[in-house]
Amino acid sequence: MISLPPSERDLHAYVDHQLLESDRRLLETWLAAHPDVAAQVQAWQQDAQHLRASLSGALQQPTNPDLDPALIRQRIKRQSRRHLATAAVLLIAVSAGGLGGWQARQMTLSTVLPMTDAMQAYRLFAQNGILPADYNVQGNGDMQAWLDRYFTQAHRLPDLSQAGFKAVSGRLLTTDQGAAAMVLYEDQQGRRISFYIRPPGPQNNLLPRGSSHSDGLQAEYWSGGGYNYAMVSPSDEPVTQMLKQTVGF
Amino acid sequence: MHELDEQLRELIPRLRRFAVSLTRQSSSADDLVQASLERAINRWADKRPEGDLRAWLFSILYRQFLDAHRRSRRYTRMLEFFTGRDDTQPSVERTVMAQSTLQAFDQLSTEQRALLLWVSVEGLSYKEVADILDVPIGTVMSRLSRARQALRQLSDGEITSPSLRILK
Repeated sequence: MISLPPSERDLHAYVDHQLLESDRRLLETWLAAHPDVAAQVQAWQQDAQHLRASLSGALQQPTNPDLDPALIRQRIKRQSRRHLATAAVLLIAVSAGGLGGWQARQMTLSTVLPMTDAMQAYRLFAQNGILPADYNVQGNGDMQAWLDRYFTQAHRLPDLSQAGFKAVSGRLLTTDQGAAAMVLYEDQQGRRISFYIRPPGPQNNLLPRGSSHSDGLQAEYWSGGGYNYAMVSPSDEPVTQMLKQTVGF
Repeated sequence: MHELDEQLRELIPRLRRFAVSLTRQSSSADDLVQASLERAINRWADKRPEGDLRAWLFSILYRQFLDAHRRSRRYTRMLEFFTGRDDTQPSVERTVMAQSTLQAFDQLSTEQRALLLWVSVEGLSYKEVADILDVPIGTVMSRLSRARQALRQLSDGEITSPSLRILK
């Protein structure tokens, strides 16, 4: 119940239709007898009306498809999937020393084969197919362009098409030497070769050309353009021979 | 599957209108709406509103605007520091030109514009506005009263800014 004469708040509540019905009638009767206050109230009502009228046009804007909720929902899903993939990559971070933690420290004095991380990555992604690729070549998709986004002035991807191998997918990895990428080549028979690139690490550990074997895998490694590289393939295969010839090891 | 999407779609024109009244430009307004819809969809699962969906969305959009505004002000201050200029102030001419209600409305502070849009145009209750701003209803009423007086005076062209007097 409002009291009379009305407070300014009551007048605003009247303008905004927020008074109880009984109060509204009471106030209307009172306003009829008080023309200056009534004029003030009317001016507020008019302003509100003008505002409603002049802002009503803003409701008629052409639809913006970017604002469709279903589309936004999809976008959110895609984003969270990307976050998930990133998280997975961090978990499967490859250790360049071959072993992590205290074991690695214990072994610092013993010789660790160069680029064992490239072999580890090959096992994880080429042999076990643990995670989907970050980039798949579709149609004439350019693997080199994808790689150049992350590694500047790196050596070009070798062309293995003569031997029937095509670059099919790429994956980003983290290693204790820095960010790495692995590009997977495949031939008609489903045989796989990987091209692996990463920075030389904090010690700037550049490599002379060489190769190493471990558990049925063969790695050809070298350095150049500020990065270390490795081509990994299963050993005891004509592939190894082909690689040596094509890439010129 | 998402009964929310239908309801959101219906409210989008209102959200865009509110966003324009805050940003005064339709392009950044749509960015604001998009960000707000994203947030609403994300929050819907665990923090769905008890009352009016519209009031809830307005409150999300308003917060987002204030946050963005604060960030951009900081950025502007930094720019000023380096360039020694301040391009963000409305010109003196704009103050004098405020004759129509809409022009007057554009002169009001962010909160006053939001208040008047919510109450006068959208017809939200004082309680809903109080919830959005997280202040008591009495505070909403006195701020609304001030906003209305300001709009009235600006519409009448009664207010001339001090800088205007200096110019004349």
